[in-house]
Amino acid sequence: MTITSRFNRWNPLTVLAAALLLTVVAYTGPAPWAPAAALALALGAAWWGGVGRRVARLVVAVAPPTFVLLALTNGVFAAEHAEAAIGALRYDTGAVRDALVVALRLGAAVAALGAVVTGVPSRRLTRALAARGLPGWAAYLIVASLEAAPEARARAQEVLDAQRCRGLATGGGLGRLRALLPLAGPLVASLVAETDERALALDARGFVAGGRRTALTAVDDPRGERWARLAIFVAIVALLAWRVIA
Amino acid sequence: MVCYPPVRSPASRFGSLSTLALALIPRAVALNLALGAIVSALKLPLYLDSVGTILAGALAGPVAGIVTGVLSNLVLGLLVNPVLLAFIPVTVIIGAIAGVAARLGAFRRWWTAAAAGVVIGVAAALSSVPIVIQVYGGLTPTGTGVVTMVLRGAFGLSMQSAAKVASLSTDVIDKPLSCLLVAAILARLPARITARFQSAG
Repeated sequence: MTITSRFNRWNPLTVLAAALLLTVVAYTGPAPWAPAAALALALGAAWWGGVGRRVARLVVAVAPPTFVLLALTNGVFAAEHAEAAIGALRYDTGAVRDALVVALRLGAAVAALGAVVTGVPSRRLTRALAARGLPGWAAYLIVASLEAAPEARARAQEVLDAQRCRGLATGGGLGRLRALLPLAGPLVASLVAETDERALALDARGFVAGGRRTALTAVDDPRGERWARLAIFVAIVALLAWRVIA
Repeated sequence: MVCYPPVRSPASRFGSLSTLALALIPRAVALNLALGAIVSALKLPLYLDSVGTILAGALAGPVAGIVTGVLSNLVLGLLVNPVLLAFIPVTVIIGAIAGVAARLGAFRRWWTAAAAGVVIGVAAALSSVPIVIQVYGGLTPTGTGVVTMVLRGAFGLSMQSAAKVASLSTDVIDKPLSCLLVAAILARLPARITARFQSAG
């Protein structure tokens, strides 16, 4: 998928560093204001970057269910001090507040990291990491794994459809469990068979040759951004140290 | 047909990854995702999202298992839910134990594979609980979270104890099944392929 995010004006490592800082602020800052502010900032940044809707969807899928689960379990069902009530429903306000804090922290982390994931193409991020010394084999593994993911899901669906066409029963408790091996078998066999071909291709292309590689497309890394990343790194270390000491 | 020994990559400086292992790892990551999709399509109350990690560990050793585990959660974290990045330490443990178990020959018989699965399950459950407590406050929005909720409501267990029991109850079923599946896969793989991995060390 082509992503035309405003984040691409910056070096991907700067965007990643900012996301990590927001996550650390959410988990180390005073609750509930620090996580709430981090969540708002991350969502605002995602909106500015043009990926707001996708990031909001990620946050909604994770944070509200967590809040409801935690509030119900700790605040209602297993409440130690149920001192407040809504109608017949008695609840522990402290436990509900704690559930809110966990959900806000989680939401902030998902929003911040989700903005990087949806706004920065993985190949660009990998190239930026490679420019900062990430070894070639590691860059290959990250890109190959990211590209294998959608292909694997599609292949799983193909195998499922093909076996159903051949009459494989996938209904009933035991039937579903029995169907697992005929479904997993062809999938694994094809993936492992490909491994051999890929290994030959890697060797044939001199993948293990030493020396520095030249990137086809260089990722800009202006001096200002390098200083900004250093400042972010110092801030993260300071926040973590403060959290440990306080 | 010409056979050749797989070339070792610069990665062998910290481990023992051959190009064969490097080629296997993205496929094993894909297997984790694909089996997750199949289990979800079959509506089975399992995860089976570590089969690729265990298979990579069994075929190419502990380092390949660890790298596969890390990459699986990295990819899922990047494509599905960034919070999964926090569970990378759990996948490291799964990959490492699977690799060591394979070196000890655990995947040659079904019952030793199941035993290895129990060990992996217990280790995975115990290592995931502190992360679940820190990140989710004890309850994940999954089946395990529901089990935790039931245990807490019915028996009045503390969040930590309920999360531990819930994780153990799901992982101790899921991981032995994953290991049995890997043992069945290894038994059916062509001898030529398993021999290539053995010669790659």
